[in-house]
Amino acid sequence: MSYLILGASSGLGKELAYILAKNSNDLIIISRDERDLKAIKSDLEIKFEITVKYFSVDVSSFDETKKFLYSNLNLLSQIQGILFPVGMMETKDEVLNDMSVSNSLIQANMGAVAYFLSKIFPIFMEKNKGIIVGFGSVSSTIGRDVNAVYAASKRGLESLFETLAISALPSKLKIQFYTIGYLDTNLSYGKKLLLPKGSAKKLAKIVYKNLDKNYRKIYYPSWWAIIVFIIKILPFSLIRYIYKFL
Amino acid sequence: MSKILYEKYKLSSFGKNYTAEVYLKNPDKYRQLEKDSLKAECLISRGAGYSYVAASFGKEALSLSMKNFNRILYFSEKEKLITVEAGMTIIELLNFTLGFRMWIAQIPGYPFISIGGAVASNVHGKSAELHGTIKNAIKNILIFHKDHGWLNLSDDENKNIFDLTIGGYGLTGTIVSVTLKLIDFEGFNFQTSINKTNSITKTVNFIKNNKEKKNLIYSWNRVDSNLKNFGDGLIFCTKTNSQHKEKNLNMPKSDKLRFLGNFPYFCLWNKLSVKTFNYFFLNYYNYLKKSVYNDNFSNVIFPVVGKEFYFSLFGNKSFIESQILISYEKVESFIDDFKNLINFHKPIITLFSVKGMSGEHRYLRFEGNMICLTFDVVNNQKNLNFINELDKLYIRYDVVPSLIKDSRLKKEVFDKCYKFANEFRKDLRNFDNKRSYRSELSDRLDL
Repeated sequence: MSYLILGASSGLGKELAYILAKNSNDLIIISRDERDLKAIKSDLEIKFEITVKYFSVDVSSFDETKKFLYSNLNLLSQIQGILFPVGMMETKDEVLNDMSVSNSLIQANMGAVAYFLSKIFPIFMEKNKGIIVGFGSVSSTIGRDVNAVYAASKRGLESLFETLAISALPSKLKIQFYTIGYLDTNLSYGKKLLLPKGSAKKLAKIVYKNLDKNYRKIYYPSWWAIIVFIIKILPFSLIRYIYKFL
Repeated sequence: MSKILYEKYKLSSFGKNYTAEVYLKNPDKYRQLEKDSLKAECLISRGAGYSYVAASFGKEALSLSMKNFNRILYFSEKEKLITVEAGMTIIELLNFTLGFRMWIAQIPGYPFISIGGAVASNVHGKSAELHGTIKNAIKNILIFHKDHGWLNLSDDENKNIFDLTIGGYGLTGTIVSVTLKLIDFEGFNFQTSINKTNSITKTVNFIKNNKEKKNLIYSWNRVDSNLKNFGDGLIFCTKTNSQHKEKNLNMPKSDKLRFLGNFPYFCLWNKLSVKTFNYFFLNYYNYLKKSVYNDNFSNVIFPVVGKEFYFSLFGNKSFIESQILISYEKVESFIDDFKNLINFHKPIITLFSVKGMSGEHRYLRFEGNMICLTFDVVNNQKNLNFINELDKLYIRYDVVPSLIKDSRLKKEVFDKCYKFANEFRKDLRNFDNKRSYRSELSDRLDL
């Protein structure tokens, strides 16, 4: 079995790489940081005696993503599953973003996943098997004044996975989508957050356990499901009114 | 919506004698490590945070945690070499290498210490007499320095910085990875024999006379404040048990909940409890335990594991540990003066131990062909008076006190006890004249 992980050099992606490797799966790992990928490859191959291929691709660049996909199409036909724990945040991400910043954020958080899916989905459909796992964010529940484009992209990604789940209905493809709250990764390290962080390691275990399950939309940590539900049933005008006092 | 603010973390040394609120960064990528280092005016790297002194943080310095850098970068069974990142713990390293019946023998007493921390403080283990310090196992080191960038250090490349880095307490930059020379591991089982002793001088002589026997030898001696039974104790001699083939590592898995934090709040070590504990400990080995018994890897190599309550019983007041190297020739008269000071100050010494040490003392490295004495005292004014007076003996007897153990050691004493202190300062400044890498330890000793 081999899996492709987009965004494998840190956080949840790294944890997923370790749990898959521990269970004897060969891996293709992709991220921006070649040095980290190289270190992960050595570690996984030495510890778990598997084969790891790595590619340094900056998926926030459309051209780089396109170049990679066109020159490695044969690679995609060899994999059994693809996981997208990819994400990019900017310290300042608002409506007034520079266009290039917004473009990178949209590309890294949604665009790149869409391009990968456009290539892998037909292959999986033809084989009538394959696993696709996406990762959204609770920040996409509602429009906000921080991480504006990030949250918007993640909302788009969620919609894309719903489409994917519908498109894959006649097949045996396994599609899962996780909406993630705060995780104990470097993205949240040292930040004062309103709610506790979930464990990336624990989430990786859950993802691994669910790999062969039919379409699932899972919140992690699970109590975020209640918070998201409440926010979604509230009228937006009321939320806008509450914002005034925050 | 609330703004995201960076938190300051309250860090304490393991001995709880120094606490500071510091910015702590936890990079998980090489570029993040570079970015955090370049942005900070003053910083210091942090391993697992188990140092008795504040070697991995200081008031004005950014503390750069290396815990995410814990990967194996290279391993060759044939060459007996392994390259690991600095955040890997001793137990993680052993769990891998012992599978190939290889290890490094310079293993500190607590398994969750990081490799980077072990190199930075040039650690030794129970077999210090036989195997020396971790310096003997290091082939090369990769560091990142905010001004000098990435540097490979070895005997052939940047030798002077290599020498400054081993036992250099992280002051030459962030230790990112280390290549270690592995040796064959003789067996997973040990046999320990216990010899009774009634004096510290006799204990020292026993260790001196049994140097060549390739055993791990260390002692436990009574040092009660009333000097009754002074030096009574046990000498543990451990050797590999080749007849017992069963692979029984019994390795500790996690360090969670091993320490009880600030519980109990009050220190439970006092004259009565120390006396009672010593009485039961000694008599347990005298009457209940066999004089020769089989032991497993974990008990021998990590004697502290499972006995962490010892540290918890110091409560909020904490403790001070002093570990010193003294020449075999001077130890007898030193112990006489030590006894006189105990008689005068009546300190509460909770633990006293002796073992051998080998190597060559240079820069800040705690090594040399000397005898190593270790003792713990409760941190209170009376005991501080005692240990401060003891500093005078340290100077008089050319003692080398361990910098990573003694959290109250002053610059004046350090300067007199470490004959290479000024050379270290000079060479460090030649390398880094801005002195960007700093901690409470380096500030206290003016390094």
